[in-house]
Amino acid sequence: MILEAQHIEKNFGDYRALDDVSIAVREGSIFGLLGPNGAGKTTLIRLINRISRPDKGVILLGGQPMTDGDVQHIGYLPEERGLYKKMKVGEQAVYLAQLKGLSRREAEHRIIQWFDKFGISDWWNRPVEQLSKGMQQKVQFIVTVLHEPRLLIFDEPFSGFDPVNATLLKNEILALCDKGATVIFSTHNMASVEELCDDIALIDKSRVVLSGSVTSIRRSYSRNLFEVVVLAGDAPLSLPAEFQLHGTAVGDGEEKLRVTLPEGRTANDLLAALMPQRQIVSINELLPSMNDIFVETVKKGGAE
Amino acid sequence: MNKILLVIRREYMTRVRKPSFWLLTLLVPIMLAALYAIPIYLAMKPLEKSVVLVADESGIFGGLDRDDTLRSDSHFASTDNIVYRYAATLDYAKRLMDSDKDVTAILYVRHRASDAIPTDACLYYKSDLPPQQVRYDVDKQLQRILRNRLLQAHGISDDEYALISNTKINLRTEDLETGREAFLEVKTGLGFILALLIYVVIFMFGSQVMRGVVEEKSSRIIEVIVCSVKPFQLMMGKVVGIALVGLTQFLLWVLLTGIALVGIQATNSELFQTATQKHELTELATKGNEATLQMQQADQMADIPQLIEGIASIDFGVILPAFLFYFIFGYLLYATLFAAAGALSDNDTDSQLFSMPLTIPLLITILCMPAMVNAPSGTLSVVLSLIPFTSPVAMMLRVPFGVPLDQLYWSMALLVVAFPLCTWLAAKLYRSSILRFNRLSIRRRKR
Repeated sequence: MILEAQHIEKNFGDYRALDDVSIAVREGSIFGLLGPNGAGKTTLIRLINRISRPDKGVILLGGQPMTDGDVQHIGYLPEERGLYKKMKVGEQAVYLAQLKGLSRREAEHRIIQWFDKFGISDWWNRPVEQLSKGMQQKVQFIVTVLHEPRLLIFDEPFSGFDPVNATLLKNEILALCDKGATVIFSTHNMASVEELCDDIALIDKSRVVLSGSVTSIRRSYSRNLFEVVVLAGDAPLSLPAEFQLHGTAVGDGEEKLRVTLPEGRTANDLLAALMPQRQIVSINELLPSMNDIFVETVKKGGAE
Repeated sequence: MNKILLVIRREYMTRVRKPSFWLLTLLVPIMLAALYAIPIYLAMKPLEKSVVLVADESGIFGGLDRDDTLRSDSHFASTDNIVYRYAATLDYAKRLMDSDKDVTAILYVRHRASDAIPTDACLYYKSDLPPQQVRYDVDKQLQRILRNRLLQAHGISDDEYALISNTKINLRTEDLETGREAFLEVKTGLGFILALLIYVVIFMFGSQVMRGVVEEKSSRIIEVIVCSVKPFQLMMGKVVGIALVGLTQFLLWVLLTGIALVGIQATNSELFQTATQKHELTELATKGNEATLQMQQADQMADIPQLIEGIASIDFGVILPAFLFYFIFGYLLYATLFAAAGALSDNDTDSQLFSMPLTIPLLITILCMPAMVNAPSGTLSVVLSLIPFTSPVAMMLRVPFGVPLDQLYWSMALLVVAFPLCTWLAAKLYRSSILRFNRLSIRRRKR
């Protein structure tokens, strides 16, 4: 575990922003920190960045309680991000890198490489306010990763990016992961969670309400719903009554069936019932999307 | 490099590189130099020939009939540039003015039967106001002629008059123990200047700190910065960086103004001299009376050494270090609080609201200044110069008058102690507010 938060509690006056929150992030993994607005994600991230201190609990980095010096191993891209508008782009990047502990020369060297990669070298001497929002985001991303931190925290990284640049960014993040960095995503974008994250923690109303690997969470939310594609036939299909058929779609000489299995039955039983009648093309379990799980879990929390 | 040094460096460099910094740096010396140079140039500027028609009904100013028994200096005397001509009546003078373009003005002295001596006169002009020199010269000659007529009528000789008008008794205010003179006017002036200067620099650079903090907040760069730098380091870096900007600007002002003044004197030394000579010559010509001239010169001479003596009596060995001390610590005390006010607000409008309480102690001190000057060692003065929030301004007002050393040390000690306390409080506020937004709007919504 590169990062562990254990039983964290944080209060702002009477308001408890985090209540007995524990998360564990595996080294080299991509971790999704999910939750509706105001759930406490940003508060937790600020605690990890040592911007504020927890009232109870500890945060371990690489198994050791965190110290102020550890922030050098973290790169954080906040959701509400900005730059000094009047400052020149290159100069500003160097300044922010120096604050992260890089020497001036090393900072310049690395920034030039990144600027070349993102095609913004020509903007070195321009004030930031002349840059488009997308370009400013690129600069902010570069500054976040420049000091090659072990742990990267991105808060809604893709908001404000067009699809081309969002893909560019995603690939850069994956490349950093391949090099051994660990990534924490804080996001509402559930599609990117399914695509990128290995593990997640869902925070709602200051508590962790759901956590684990994406695959196992989706499996645990399984509704035993399967989609079977078979070749079209002359006789109508007949299934035992215990299999709940949600309808068929016919087209291109194929039939698509959605079936819910009863408790205790498996995909094999379904296939056994179908095989005598039709030729099977494919069978898939329809797991709920992370989006469905998110909405369901948060709704359940709200109902309580 | 230490992070706080990096912050200081950025704050300093970005401000010093701004065009507005150099504009202000150049503008102030230029303004001061202009204040010095413009009167010189105006004095040197050759006056166009002006003709003044004198329509004198009273006859006192040499109008109607020339009286040979009168002294020679009882008429209007023309100079190279200002020519006086007598006209019999106002109507005649008006007609002359219409036909002759050289006539700049008509001096009309009305004679009322009830008045033995005319009490008012009028200078008429058409469309163009007569130059100031002309108005000044007319007035001077009017007073001189009237005085000379009266002297003659009452049989008083010039020497007697000089004796009467020149004899004064000089009242001094002296310290009984040291036997040194107080020179209160000089000290009052200096005290006001020093106190206002401290007030202005504290506000000018304090509000720069506040605007810097608001900028970081409103642009949201603060979210990025606080991950690398502790809020305290960021705040102190900003405060110190801007202090250095202030000191740089101050030094440049002193330096550039000095250069400009020396330059003006050096390049124009010849003109400068001729201007003064010319001035003296005109005065001589107009007066024509040695006694009056000597009288006036004696008057001026008496004032100048007194001023110099007054300035010399001031203890600059105390004032300069005291000014530097109160400038630095006064600024530091307020700058951290201004930073906290900036952290509490989301935008410039909010920050004005939050910085208002900070302006009150200094404003009160400024309002108390006249009362304090009346009694530089009174209770009000002593109290205000001990309270850390008012002491920078109050003490600078008092210092030229001489302050008991134990009071000075107490005031300084309290300010030095107040600084870390204030910084601690400001840092706490700053730290807890810097990442919170919409404080005001939340409160508004709750109501």
